[in-house]
Formats: sequence, C-alpha cells, structure tokens
Amino acid sequence: MIQVFAFYLFATIVVASAAMVIFARNPVHSVLWLILAFFNAAGLMVLLSAEFVAMLLVIVYVGAVAVLFLFVVMMLDIDFAQLRAGFVSYFPLGGAIAMVLLVELILGIGAWQAGSLNLAQRTAPLPEATPNIEAIGQLLYTRYIFLFEAAGLILLVAMIGAIVLTHRARGGTRPQNIDKQNRRRPEEAVRNVNQPVGQGVDLGGVEL
Amino acid sequence: METLAVFASVLPEIVLTIAGLILMLVAAYAGDGSARLVSWLSVASLALAAVLLGQLAVHAGGEIFDGLYRADAFAAFAKALIFVAAAVCILVAPRFFDGEGGQRAEYPILILFACIGMAMMVSASDFITLYVGLELNSLAAYVLASFMRRDERSAEAGLKYFVLGALASGILLYGMSLLYGFSGTTNFAGVAQAIGDGLGTGELFGLVFVLSGLAFKISAVPFHMWTPDVYEGAPTPVTAFFASAPKVAALALTTRIAITAFGPGGHSWQQIIIFMALASIVLGAVAAINQPNIKRLLAYSSINNVGFALIGLAAGTAEGVAAVLSYLAIYVVMTIGSFVCVLQMKDKDGRPVETIASLSGLSRTRPGLAAAFAIFMFSLAGIPPLFGFWAKFLVFDAAVAAGLTPLAAIGIAASVIGAFYYLKVIKTIYFDKPAEGFAEERSPIDYGIITLCATVIIIGYFLNPVLGRASAAAAASLF
Amino acid sequence: MVDLSQYLPILLFLAVALGLSSAFVFLPMLVGRLTGSHKPDPEKLSEYECGFPAFEDPRSQFDVRFYLVAILFIIFDLEAAFLFPWSVSLGEIGWAGWTTMMIFIFELVLGLIYAWKKGALDWE
Repeated sequence: MIQVFAFYLFATIVVASAAMVIFARNPVHSVLWLILAFFNAAGLMVLLSAEFVAMLLVIVYVGAVAVLFLFVVMMLDIDFAQLRAGFVSYFPLGGAIAMVLLVELILGIGAWQAGSLNLAQRTAPLPEATPNIEAIGQLLYTRYIFLFEAAGLILLVAMIGAIVLTHRARGGTRPQNIDKQNRRRPEEAVRNVNQPVGQGVDLGGVEL
Repeated sequence: METLAVFASVLPEIVLTIAGLILMLVAAYAGDGSARLVSWLSVASLALAAVLLGQLAVHAGGEIFDGLYRADAFAAFAKALIFVAAAVCILVAPRFFDGEGGQRAEYPILILFACIGMAMMVSASDFITLYVGLELNSLAAYVLASFMRRDERSAEAGLKYFVLGALASGILLYGMSLLYGFSGTTNFAGVAQAIGDGLGTGELFGLVFVLSGLAFKISAVPFHMWTPDVYEGAPTPVTAFFASAPKVAALALTTRIAITAFGPGGHSWQQIIIFMALASIVLGAVAAINQPNIKRLLAYSSINNVGFALIGLAAGTAEGVAAVLSYLAIYVVMTIGSFVCVLQMKDKDGRPVETIASLSGLSRTRPGLAAAFAIFMFSLAGIPPLFGFWAKFLVFDAAVAAGLTPLAAIGIAASVIGAFYYLKVIKTIYFDKPAEGFAEERSPIDYGIITLCATVIIIGYFLNPVLGRASAAAAASLF
Repeated sequence: MVDLSQYLPILLFLAVALGLSSAFVFLPMLVGRLTGSHKPDPEKLSEYECGFPAFEDPRSQFDVRFYLVAILFIIFDLEAAFLFPWSVSLGEIGWAGWTTMMIFIFELVLGLIYAWKKGALDWE
C-alpha cells in the first residue's frame, strides 16, 4: 500500500516538475525544478531497490550537475524572451522530435510485451542477501577492472578538455610560493642605508 | 588465463596510458614550449605500442577480462592502422599550429587518450567495453575539434560534433539497453546466442538502434550530416585524424558487432548495411560535386568511401571482412596523403587556404605537390593502375561472391559519378590558369609522408601478399 | 518487493517538513488577507534599489571560470561516488580490488597535479 502511494507520489512529482522545467519562464527556476525532478527520480530508484543509483542521483546530479547547469545558465548572455520568440517557428521541428521519441517509447513498451524476456543468461544474478551497492562493488573492481580504469581515463580527459578549452592564463594572479618565501634570506630583504639628513630614501630595487 | 598473460595482451594500451599520463605531467610542468618534445615522445610511444602489437599478434589470445575484451588478430590489424594514422596526425600538426599562434602540448596527449579509446573499441567483445571505449575516444575528439578555441569555426565544429555525438551515444545506449533487456547479457557472444534462438521484436529494435548509433560514428548516410561541417571547421590536422583513425575504429567495431553479435540474424542487419552502403556511396558522390572547399570535398569523399567499405561488410563472409580491412588500410593511406597535401595549401602570409579554386594551375607552381595530389585523387576515384582500385575491387569481389551482384553493380555505377569530382580537382590543378601560388615552405616531415603515401599508392600491389595474408588472418579470427 | 518500512521515518520526516514549510509560506499570506492588511499597489510591488527604479536585470553574466570549477567539482565528485561501493565491498574484493582503486585514484591525482600546475585552480 505504502509502496503504491510512494510510487505515485514520486512519479507525479517527477512528471510535473519535468514539465515545469520546460514551462518555467525564468531559466534559473527551470534548474530548480530539475533538481526537484532529480530528487524524486532518486525516490523512484529507492522503490526499485537500486539504492546506489538513488545515491548517485542525489550526489552527482543534484549535487554537481545541477550546479553546473546553474553556472552555465548564469554564464550565457541570452535574452530568453527573444529565444522564446522563435517558439512558433521551431514548433514543427520540436514536435516532430517529440513524436519520434513518443513512438520510440511506445515501440519499446510494445516490444517488451511482444518479445520473449529471456533473463536466464543473466551474467550476474543478484544474491538475495547482498545489498546492491555491495554487489556492484564486488563486480566493478574485479571483473570490470579494465573498464573501471578506462572510466578513470574518461574523467581525466574531461578534466584536460575543460582546462584546454576554458582556461587561459591571466596575469595578476599572485599565488603563494612557499618555496620562494622560505628561500628568501635577510640579505635580500633588508638594507642598511646611511641616510643623509633632508633627502628622500631611494627604494629602487627593493621588493615590497 | 594467468594474470600476467592478461596484462601482456593489453600491453599496448597500458603503454599508451602510461605515456599519456607522463606526457600530461610534462605538459603541465614545462608548458606549451614542450609541445615538440611531447609530440615526438607521443609518436615514439605509439610506435612502441604498434611494435608490441606485432609481438602479440603472433600468439594472439582469446577473450580476456571475463569476455569483456578480445586481443585477437582482427583487433591487432585495426589497432596497427589506428596507431600509425594517429602518429602521422601528430607529426604533421606542429607546422599547422605554428601558423595559428603556436601548438599547445595537449594536442598529442589528447590523441594518445583517443587512441586508447579506439583500441578498446576494436577489441570490445562486450557492449560495456564498446561504450566506454567509444566515449573515451569521442570525448577527446570533441575537445580536439574545438582545439583552436579562438577560431569561431573550430568552436562551432566542436559544439556541433558534441551535441550530435551525444545524441548518437544516446541512441546507441538505448539500443544496447534493449539488447541487454531481451537477451539478458551484454556480451557479444551471449547476444548472438539469444538472437540465434529467434530474433524477437525487442532484439530487432535494439539491433536497429545500435546500428544507427554506429552509423553516426562512421558517418554513413543517413547519419552523415555532421561530417562536412565538422571536417571543415576543425583544424586541418584534426580533420586528418577524424578522417582516418576514428573511422577505422568505428568501422572495425561495426564489423565486429555485425559478425559476432548479430551474425546469426544475418538478414536483418544485412539489409540495413546494404541501405547505408548504397546511400553513402550515392550521396557522397552527388553532394560533393559542387563543393568549393577542399575539406568539405574530402568529407564527402570519406562518406563515399565508408559506403564502399560497408559493401564488403554487407557480404557478411570472411572474404568480405578481409576486404573491409584491406579497404580501410588503403583508405587510410589515401586520405592521410590527401590531407597532408591540403596542409601544404598556405597563402603568402602563411594562412591556410581551403578553396579548390586556389589549387588552379598548381602543376606549374608546385609540380611535385600537384602530382601527389593527382595520385591521391585518382586513387580515391578508383582509377585502375592505382591502389585505390584494388580496394574497391576487393569489396565488389566479396559482394559478388556472396551473391550480392546488384549491390556491386550499383556501387560500380556510383563510383563513376564519384570519379567526376575527383577528376574535377585534377582538372583544376593541371588545366586551369595558375592562381596565386602557395607559400614555399618545405618541411621534410610532410614531404616524406606525402612521398611515402604516394609510393604506397603506386606500387601497392607489391604489398598485396602481406596485406592479403594479414587481413585474411584478421578476418578469420571473427568467424 | 522492497521492504520499504525502513524508509518510513524519512518519508514521515519529508511529509512533516513539507507541511511545516508550506504552512510558513502560506499562513502569513492567508492571515494578511484575512486581517485586511493585503493592499498591493504598483509602488509597493516594485523592486527597491535606493529609491531608484531598477536599472537592469539582476542576473549578471558569470565568468567562464565558474564553469571550469564546476567541471572539476563534478569530476572529483564522481571519483568520490566510485569510492562508496569499493569501501563496502573491500572485504570480498581483497588486495586486487584495493589496487584497482589505488590506480584509479592515482590517475586522477595526476589530473589534479596537471590542473594545479596549469593554474586552473587559481582564482585571482
């Protein structure tokens, strides 16, 4: 009973907030609706007893991807009213894409009902007592070791790519150089001056 | 298999990974001034990986990592092509980027990581391996396409490539999840077994979506639309890379999936491949006719060539697969040769020129370059004495042997249309009034590569015993 | 089917939180209308900016550097996400699994060194 209730609660909120992502006038509100959608999708994953996926949704999507979206939305200098003005002219194309997606969905469901579900050769049947996060761990770091390391390389390439494309060295940054600070000797920093009366002090060459 | 033996069979990939990581640190510490050094070391590590590949191919093993990976002769053949093509694309890059404000040291590093991804693609015997390899390659490729970030066209190419590539990956994943859902496994052999039990609607849809996603990656019609724009916008060395190495990887991957995962349901995928082959050949030939830009022209030429290679796959026999591999090897030589020639096109200020009109009368200003250009164009058109003809002959032969005579006939007819625009380029070079000549910059590396490629194209028939045996052995490992 | 009773406390917590927070939002509005102090006029509803009408959209354009920071955050966030299944299954996967994770972390540590050296982490 409570499962059915929870399912309909989460599912309704996911669909409703997904619709609001599109209909919200303010793009920042869209991102906030998206966060709500992610949260409720995580709830649905919990209902499927895929706790790890639920956790990933919250940590990665809500915690990081949504923040990135917010930054991107804030970064773009777009007049959204102007963007929306093209709505009518783009509607046929958008509608066509939506129709294709809908047909795909129907075909997917239809195929699921028509085909013979043959799960006998499941390569990794889940042991009853193991929580799925543990089951994932047992496979990911042993059987899938090669792919796991390759996934690390993908993250690395993403990092290099982001730096190559967006980072430019800018002058004026003054990071602390501890090594240089420690190597500095009193002789370089302090100078004794026999100062005549009535004249200014020449500070040339002294780093302040 | 023993742990040591397992790691020995992925030694080329491990070498490339370690080289990539070390060179990344070199680039970080020494800055862009180290670009030349990093380039040379990358080429050296690719060469080392290729040599290790040769060692491995002798005692090529079967499946490793619980059936996720296959280091067989087929993979070794494709990897050798990929590594060589990538090394050439690194070698020719510095001169191009020097004219654009200096090369950045990340270029060879990203190519190295892309090579690891491609090696995973051609060795994949599981959909998850396939996907991880494909993403590793694609992610590096997106960055490479927009590598000249101050250039608007390059940034646009990267963005376009990324958006459409992500869409294709989504389609591919959808197909893979359908196949997994209906067969209960992601392993190619397991999927083949499930399809062999009877091809259900769900599996059929999975198959169609997987092939669509892959068609995008090999830029076969009707998923080709990104190719001309991306090839035109990306920096020329990157375009040369896109046209060679990833294409080999994606085509080899498609071949492996079609034969080992979809093989039993032969007719279903065969129809799709035949359609893509014919559509690519015809569109590649017709759309290129009025292209004023040489890079766009070569993009359509690559679509056209993918179509011919797919004819070999459509045959679905060991002979056909061997023909695909030979075709790829010859295609890589021709395409790299042409792109290195395009790299020589620079105006007096050293800026790259891309219009075909600027090639007018090249035969009088630069006879050597003109001759090389002509050889590559004749070869791409499949004019008999050159090696490009042999490639086409092999795929048509395989198609006829498999009973696909009409397909071969249409292919031959379309290649005549295709020959038209290649000949038009040659006409511009030899018979038009000389345009303003290109800047005289002699680079021993570029000229060496052009000479080597042209020589292979001319006297390639002497290589036939080697190429034939290698491709046959590689094809045999799939059946 | 999943035993959802273990999630009952958090469900109740969410329900209570939702109820209370909506009460905080809507109750004052309701009270305002009921007591008759709800009298909006255009001046009262306009943004207050030192007595002037608002000059521009309050949403100013962000620097692209925020994007780089966010990407780096996502990458290390994902790396951390991979640590969870590893830590709970370390007993079964043993030294092989431990080494796997160390190599993975090593790859990304090299990435961190690269980012650091390139100055991607510098701000001003």
